[in-house]
Amino acid sequence: MNHSSSRISRIRNVFSATEPYLYLVPSILIFSIFLFWPFFKTIYLSFYKTNKLGQAKLFVGIGNYKELFQSSAFINSLYVTLVFVIIVVSISMLLGLIGAILCNKTFPGIRFFSTAYALPMAIASSSAAMIFRIMLHPSIGIVNKLLHLNINWLADPRYALVLVAILTGWLNSGIDFLYFSAGLASIDETIYERASVDGAGPVRQFVHLTLPGLSPILFYTIVVNIIQAFQSFGQVKILTQGGPGDATNLIVYSIYRDAFFNYRFGSAAAESVILFVIIMCLTLLMF
Amino acid sequence: MKKNMLRVAAGAAMASMLFSACGSTSAPNAGTSAAQTETQTSSAADASAAKASSEDSSASSASGDKTEITFWHSMGGVNGQALDYLINKFNEENDKNIHVTAEFQGEYDDAINKLKSAQIGNMGADLVQIYDIGTRFMIDSGWVVPMQELIDADGWDVSKLEPNIAAYYTVDNKLYSMPFNSSTPILYYNKDMFDKAGITEIPDSLPAIGKVADKLVKDGGAGEAISLSIYGWFFEQFCCKQGLAYVDNGNGREAAATKVAFDSNGAAVNILKAWKDLYTSGAAPMVGRGGDAGLVDFSSGKSAMTLGSTASLKQVLEDVNGKFEVGTAYFPKVSDSDKGGVSIGGASLWALDNKDDAKKAATWEFVKFLVSPESQAYWNAQTGYFPVTTAAHDEQVFKDNLAKYPQFGTAIDQLHDSTPESAGALLSVFPEARQIVETEIENMLNNDASPEDTASKMAEQINSAISDYNLVNG
Repeated sequence: MNHSSSRISRIRNVFSATEPYLYLVPSILIFSIFLFWPFFKTIYLSFYKTNKLGQAKLFVGIGNYKELFQSSAFINSLYVTLVFVIIVVSISMLLGLIGAILCNKTFPGIRFFSTAYALPMAIASSSAAMIFRIMLHPSIGIVNKLLHLNINWLADPRYALVLVAILTGWLNSGIDFLYFSAGLASIDETIYERASVDGAGPVRQFVHLTLPGLSPILFYTIVVNIIQAFQSFGQVKILTQGGPGDATNLIVYSIYRDAFFNYRFGSAAAESVILFVIIMCLTLLMF
Repeated sequence: MKKNMLRVAAGAAMASMLFSACGSTSAPNAGTSAAQTETQTSSAADASAAKASSEDSSASSASGDKTEITFWHSMGGVNGQALDYLINKFNEENDKNIHVTAEFQGEYDDAINKLKSAQIGNMGADLVQIYDIGTRFMIDSGWVVPMQELIDADGWDVSKLEPNIAAYYTVDNKLYSMPFNSSTPILYYNKDMFDKAGITEIPDSLPAIGKVADKLVKDGGAGEAISLSIYGWFFEQFCCKQGLAYVDNGNGREAAATKVAFDSNGAAVNILKAWKDLYTSGAAPMVGRGGDAGLVDFSSGKSAMTLGSTASLKQVLEDVNGKFEVGTAYFPKVSDSDKGGVSIGGASLWALDNKDDAKKAATWEFVKFLVSPESQAYWNAQTGYFPVTTAAHDEQVFKDNLAKYPQFGTAIDQLHDSTPESAGALLSVFPEARQIVETEIENMLNNDASPEDTASKMAEQINSAISDYNLVNG
């Protein structure tokens, strides 16, 4: 009796030690199939040249990487992506922040305005891009009609990247608006009252109270925004296909083109790994 | 504490986003084929459900085993409806108890990529529609039954086909695939503007377009002389017009090409020079990239001319909607002395080798039906593609259509005026080559690069793509 009860308790101990892991099994299984396996396969493929079926055929070691760093197109793609990310992050954060501050006060119609500012979140990037394409069309687009200009916006390398970035920034601003609204709501109202009693104007209140209060959420938003901007794809695919020239050939689009158009999975995989390393470094740097 | 939690959340968010990004790009085979099975089964289910009612009558009357074949195509919109009509007609009328299930596989590029993935799992179709520039790839793939085998087995008369169309798909004297929807590029022009400017002679070369440009803008009221979209197909056609090869080894027809020829034979520089002249003189401003980028400017009455496929004729006429009279003319030459013709674009039907004789026979029956004069006349009238069978010209449907759209006559004359020698190049990496050509033309116009540099840049990149391809697939 004593013996069996100790065995039961031992089983119970073993069970309680393993129990948490059992709960993890389903998710680990799913993650392994859909995330880890493809991830390691990507690294594996990046060391090979692939045939027309996308199968690894010829081991080239770091040959794909070497080719990439010697190719001016890829360097250009990195540079374009960097410029793009900077524009997108600035625009989306600024729009989100302004929207959130404006909607922080209660006034009639507040619901309408907060919905309007959060709306870009709900729009698929591809459909927004389709609408933009029509708006920017040189002969039938409303932009040229309103401005009385005759500019082929998306075919001109001076404007194409900036326009795609503005669209992306606007699309991303919806989620930023949400983050910032949540952040603002968590700042204690009473400190503003005390500050205004002490004679602080709205600008000082913003700089010394709002911004510090937002700083944790601000940090998180920057990280998420950068990652999101790096991975923009649909807009480029629909608006410019990487053109004119290579002016909007963002890295993810360049991966897509290499993999599914040129059927060179090896170099596409190498590009994916490089993108992964870049984003990882940036994120670690910011932590 | 709060900050720590945020960090964890940010980290987790980053990890999941990253991994999902890698996931979507890394294992395309696994990913696409899985997605494919799904769409395939669901679309097959839809199709069979939709057809179940119409089938009942024919199924009950016929006895014995039904032969099921699967047909992958890339015809959406109006063209897709016309194709569905033909398929339904075949399913109802054929007396060999064959049932064709058609599956729309997206654009040409998507379809060939899905086929590549599907062939790994050996779960593809029996008949696929593949675009012109996929021809060399399909021949090299080893997945196909050359159409010629089926033709010879049946004793079918190949001379029924339009010779200049058949020439494109004939390699080593074998017709590898059955032409189905073929088009050529033509020059569309705004007759009203030409009349207003008092120009009676329609320009037949790029320099001639440059000469009338000023008059069209000043007197004709055009916003621009020509909306010339940057499209790789036009570049290929300009090579054909000069009678010069795009790649070596007999334009890729005697054997797989090893390098481009347009740099050494001067074809590219001629084209780029003429193109750049039109751009710098303002006759052909940038209108964007791809086949239909120039059409909107034309239909909206801004440009006096544009280049486009014959298959766009219907769309153009519909968009113009009688605002002005649309004229069509031959695709322009690069210089006045050129003697070449145009080659065709569009797609053809490839029979896949599934080691099943019954299916092979059924596939052939279906192909025969699709290229019959009656089907082709209907197809031409509905879509604007050429009838690939010459006998279709005698069908009333065809005659009525030509009477209604006389502009289409230009396309047919142009095709007949070309010779099989200008059949155009075959190249395994054509989709990529086309992209490179388009990108470099854009770079030349935007950065004021010289035609010579641009040509050598194109050649360098395409050559490297060819040698890469030959290295791993040879």
